Amino acid sequence: MLFLQLLLNGLQTGAIYALTAAGFALIFGATKIFHVAHGIAFTIAGYVFLFAWRADWPSWLGVLASIAAAMLFGIVMERLVYRPIQRHEGSFFTVFVAAFGVSIVVQNIIGMIAGRGFATVDTPLSFSAEILPEIFVAPMLWIALATAAVLFVALTLFLTRHPAGVALRALAQNPDLIRTYGLSSNGLSVLAFAIGSALAAPAAIVTAMTTGLNEAIGHHVMLISIAATIVGGIGSLRGAALAGMMLGIAESLALTVVDTQWAEAVSFLVLFGFIIFRPAGIFGVTQTR
Amino acid sequence: MPGPMIGRRTALAASLALPFIRPAFAQQAEPYVMGSLFPMSGPNAEFGEAFTRGAQVAIAHINADNMLRRPVRLQSEDSQALPQPSVIGMNKLINIDRASWVLSSWTATAKAIAPIGDRAKTIMVNGGGVGPDLSGLSPYFWNVIALAHLEVRAIVPFLVNQRNVKRVALIYVDDPLGDAILGQLREQLPLHGATLVGSYSVPRAAQQFGSVVARVRQSRPDAIYIASFGAQQAQIVKGLRDNGVTQIICSFSGFGLDGIRTLPEAEGALFTTQKLDFASSDPITKRFADDFQARFGQAPVTYHANYYNAAYLFGLLARQVEQAGGEVNGETMRAAMLATRKFNLVGGEGEFDELGNMLTQLQVNEIRGQRVIAVG
Repeated sequence: MLFLQLLLNGLQTGAIYALTAAGFALIFGATKIFHVAHGIAFTIAGYVFLFAWRADWPSWLGVLASIAAAMLFGIVMERLVYRPIQRHEGSFFTVFVAAFGVSIVVQNIIGMIAGRGFATVDTPLSFSAEILPEIFVAPMLWIALATAAVLFVALTLFLTRHPAGVALRALAQNPDLIRTYGLSSNGLSVLAFAIGSALAAPAAIVTAMTTGLNEAIGHHVMLISIAATIVGGIGSLRGAALAGMMLGIAESLALTVVDTQWAEAVSFLVLFGFIIFRPAGIFGVTQTR
Repeated sequence: MPGPMIGRRTALAASLALPFIRPAFAQQAEPYVMGSLFPMSGPNAEFGEAFTRGAQVAIAHINADNMLRRPVRLQSEDSQALPQPSVIGMNKLINIDRASWVLSSWTATAKAIAPIGDRAKTIMVNGGGVGPDLSGLSPYFWNVIALAHLEVRAIVPFLVNQRNVKRVALIYVDDPLGDAILGQLREQLPLHGATLVGSYSVPRAAQQFGSVVARVRQSRPDAIYIASFGAQQAQIVKGLRDNGVTQIICSFSGFGLDGIRTLPEAEGALFTTQKLDFASSDPITKRFADDFQARFGQAPVTYHANYYNAAYLFGLLARQVEQAGGEVNGETMRAAMLATRKFNLVGGEGEFDELGNMLTQLQVNEIRGQRVIAVG
């Protein structure tokens, strides 16, 4: 029974990881920008939903506001931080440091506005009921899984059927070709940031309802997103999503064999395993020199 | 008739000497620097804010009362509750800001800065960390908070005798605080006929606790002791309640923050603190409680009082040294503390032992309707 309980817990955690990792992978895959401030989009989305909840807004409006805030942050980062740096041929390291700096500044602003403490959306959706002997499940599990599934189907359809989605994939493979066809790589880059950041919002809302928020929560999200992107195969959206889900489940199921302290380390053991034995990740393409 | 002439050499010498003369005159009015090493950012920033507020009220009182010949200024450094930033902050406070009194917090960070303060003979006062080995860490490291071994010794008999608890599970953060509380529970529970049925360590950055709770539930405890801090302890409480654990939740003084008190899932949680009555008629306690409420619009809690005491003690000792005609520094203030031992502080008379630990009585509190009620 413990195995089943841990598996269910892992699925919920995995859904959160998958959504945030997919957003990061989409941005990185399309623009090659290591958007280390993606965790802040997650934090902003969570706090916007929290404030909307506290202000008694309807839930759907809170969700929309949260998605809009995350998208806005992504777009602002692309337009005001990354693009000016790239215009001056800023290196990968410059972009990384700039994003990291913005993360720290925004994190502190959130702390000043929202308070330094723990904050949570108090909802019965996070209360577990015993559905089988020793098996406790909260409605939030099904909501998280359904949300992740619907969003991945929608995203896959967008990327494969919609012209803008196809152009995004093309941008990931050959930006010069995009320009040859008369498309704007800048516009597509903004689109990648908007969609990628929006994917963090549902995960942040689930987190706000289950484990709660604090100003620094984005760091952990970011670490897992990076790990999932590498494990899934750099540039592969489905790989990042699958890896996010896999890391969540592995983290939880590990408790059947290791001490609780090592649960989160399991994610990084998986990461090291992939780096050593399959550096291209699950869906990545191996490049030989 | 020509007046006295100032030669070019004299003028040059005077201008060169000016930068050295001015500070000498200004020194009379230069404030004493009191340093603070609190987590001001990150998941434990709520503690840093609370600690700072207590110290700010104390410094306002010291300055308003003209207790000292020079005003006191608080210089804050962000420890992030981590040893490395604390060491950097401590070096800056000592070498650049010339602080002779530093307010410290957190067991791990206190242990990191203690050798630096010890070498520089800078007084370090802790009002937040509770690791038992903070006692006697250095002759210059003092505690105005009851340490964990005393807190565990206070709550275990209460749990067994008043709440009929026989089986206790521990969720503890993997750091010196968590290890200390694990050791104390292992020692104390059997002495009172109870058992530690499970101990589950979690990393400091862990945020998902559903799976840990599944393991805790399997150990079938009557009570779960949480030895963590900051946002993480609130996340653990919520994780326990959300995942079907209805047993007693208990902890140490780390629960004495608004983030826990106002958390609906923390209803009924028990935790220990120093015995403090903010409604007392004791003039120092009353002044502190009234001014704190007026300044921050909230009722004070134990942590606020601890850091008020930690900062106010500087005023009392520095005044003693000034009145004796001595220079205010770590050595002279330590000598003054050892000579006096008893001070009027928030909560009544505070007495220090030879290791610099303030001796206090403890109480068990319960969170009821978002209020903290003393129950034992």
